Amino acid sequence: MNLGRYIAQKTVWYLVALVAAVGLNFLLPRLVPGNPVDVIVSNLSRGGSVTSEQQKQVYESYVQEFGLDQSLWAQFLTYLGKVFTGDLGTSFAYYPASVNDLVGQALPWSIAVQLPAILIGWILGNVVGAIAAFRGGNWDRSVFTSSLFLSAMPYYCLSILLLYGFAVVAGIFPVGGAYSLGLTPEFSLSFIWDAVSYYWLPFLSLVVVFIGGQAVGMRSMAIYELGGDYVNYARAMGIRDNKITQYIFRNAMLPQITGLALAIGTLVGGALITELVFSYPGVGTLLFNAISANDYPVIQAVTLIITVAVLVANFAVEIVYGIVDPRIRAAKSGEK
Amino acid sequence: MSTTNTPSGTASSPSRSGILARAENIRCVYGGGEEDFTAVDGVSIELGEGEILGLAGESGCGKTTLGNALAMIATPPLYVLSGTLEIDGETIDLSTLQPSDLKRHRPYRGRTVSMLPQGAMNSISPTLRISSLVRDVMRAHDPKITKDEALDLARERLKMLDMPVRVLDSYAHQLSGGMKQRMITVISTLQNPRLLIADEPTSALDVSSQRMLVEMLLEMVQQGIMSGVVFVTHDLPVLSQVSDKLAIMNAGSIVESGPTRQLVENAQHPYTRKLLSSVLDPSQETRRRGVARRSTTTEEVGTP
Ligand SMILES: Nc1ncnc2c1ncn2[C@@H]1O[C@H](COP(=O)(O)OP(=O)(O)OP(=O)(O)O)[C@@H](O)[C@H]1O
Ligand SMILES: [Mg+2]
Repeated sequence: MNLGRYIAQKTVWYLVALVAAVGLNFLLPRLVPGNPVDVIVSNLSRGGSVTSEQQKQVYESYVQEFGLDQSLWAQFLTYLGKVFTGDLGTSFAYYPASVNDLVGQALPWSIAVQLPAILIGWILGNVVGAIAAFRGGNWDRSVFTSSLFLSAMPYYCLSILLLYGFAVVAGIFPVGGAYSLGLTPEFSLSFIWDAVSYYWLPFLSLVVVFIGGQAVGMRSMAIYELGGDYVNYARAMGIRDNKITQYIFRNAMLPQITGLALAIGTLVGGALITELVFSYPGVGTLLFNAISANDYPVIQAVTLIITVAVLVANFAVEIVYGIVDPRIRAAKSGEK
Repeated sequence: MSTTNTPSGTASSPSRSGILARAENIRCVYGGGEEDFTAVDGVSIELGEGEILGLAGESGCGKTTLGNALAMIATPPLYVLSGTLEIDGETIDLSTLQPSDLKRHRPYRGRTVSMLPQGAMNSISPTLRISSLVRDVMRAHDPKITKDEALDLARERLKMLDMPVRVLDSYAHQLSGGMKQRMITVISTLQNPRLLIADEPTSALDVSSQRMLVEMLLEMVQQGIMSGVVFVTHDLPVLSQVSDKLAIMNAGSIVESGPTRQLVENAQHPYTRKLLSSVLDPSQETRRRGVARRSTTTEEVGTP
């Protein structure tokens, strides 16, 4: 009943989770046996292009940056200070590029391709699923079969099929990348026009799969709700179908909201496979390259961003749930 | 509402003008495919103005199915193959062979025939405030009504039944079983239905809540909020207290019907006798009737 108390309680819990997540993010690279900086620097020198003088310089700058000569507690405070001022450190692999810059370049591409795909896919998927459930019959059968097929299809399959069909064979869209070679990202009409032609394939491959998944979920939820006693009763009272549909929608929506929030939350991690297939310069590609290059600061930054985003998304879900479903509010705030 | 309309051209015209409703030849099947199951097989019932008709029979004999056909809420896999309901001078075709029939029946639902369902516990959407349901029910046939007007009527009815008005602000999960049951009873009768189908409204209640609910229904009939009730239950003691007429159902058909007293005291059909003997001790039954009568009269005196 008491929404304020519910929200306050949730806020406290999520702050605790956030602190734990940040702490883990700080600790994990430091728990790796040996000094990660040693490993990195020796990796750097393996290329042979780095002189021992440069190597020493790099080493010292890392030691200083991470405060590796200080106590763990002092290191943590330094780390916290940096994280909260928005300084994610310096990349090993692209030294001396800052992680902020790398992530800042990749993130807009990931968001631009995924956010519209998730939102449009979610809305269309739910509408299609609900219509299938309410209409029944042939409508339902065809929607259900195709949705199931699409949602069960792995991302990379669809991506590769689309890439092959539309780019390689038909040549309608460019094969990979996010914009034509020689252009630099900028807010100009000509650049955006160029980028849009690269945008369609990754967007489509994401949106189609998402529509399928949402439609399947919504359909089965709505069918379940349709059989509910309250539907029968509302009907017996002469309430109009569109009103009853609203009741059903509200109840069937609940699990779907979770799906949406989690999709938005993990969005900042990039659509790894899609980005790789289409050579899209998003966070997924950045993370993939960072892992192959042992670029700890980048890996750490991306995981931190993902963690925070997922926490925020979950928090949002719980708040929305609390508003929409009075039972959850009552049960969770320990009130009957 | 006028009750003097006599249906023209009926061979067996009623002896008095007080007929409220007459349902004829109702046939219901489950399935629609190859393996149809006939759950109601040519049932006809008649109900006088202000009368309570008790419908009794073993579990699975088709009472709820018949109730759903009368309340016009049959949905697949239940199909009403045939049947008419004559009420207020209008003859409604009850059959639901086309999906569009559900829409065709909507104008009658809740107002001409209303329903007090067997599963009252889950009859309110968990995410819907009771006040919103009240508003939606009142607007079902009168879209212009404001939420305040709807709630005022609901409050009035709740007060009449000694229910706290605050239940309107609640969600279903915040009410006890008995409160929910009574709340649903209030909602089912909000539109002053001519005929109410009450399908085992007392089955989930303890004895004192049962009494309260039954008295509430009786009072509503006496006050003219509704004009007739088909009271479905397998609880014969309750039925013999409240109903004017009884109809005994077995395997989809009505095997015997008549005035309650006559049927209880002098059952003709062996099935009725079996049903009565299995639940009723006549001497106890008469005593209970006395109690019920007395309590309703006190109630009458109590209400202004
Ligand atoms: N959805 C269904 N599909 C198939 N058969 C059904 C369905 N619902 C009910 N039936 C059958 O129809 C018959 C009548 O059921 P109904 O619910 O009308 O019984 P009832 O008299 O109300 O019983 P109870 O006293 O237990 O409520 C039963 O034999 C039952 O098996
Ligand atoms: Mg029943």
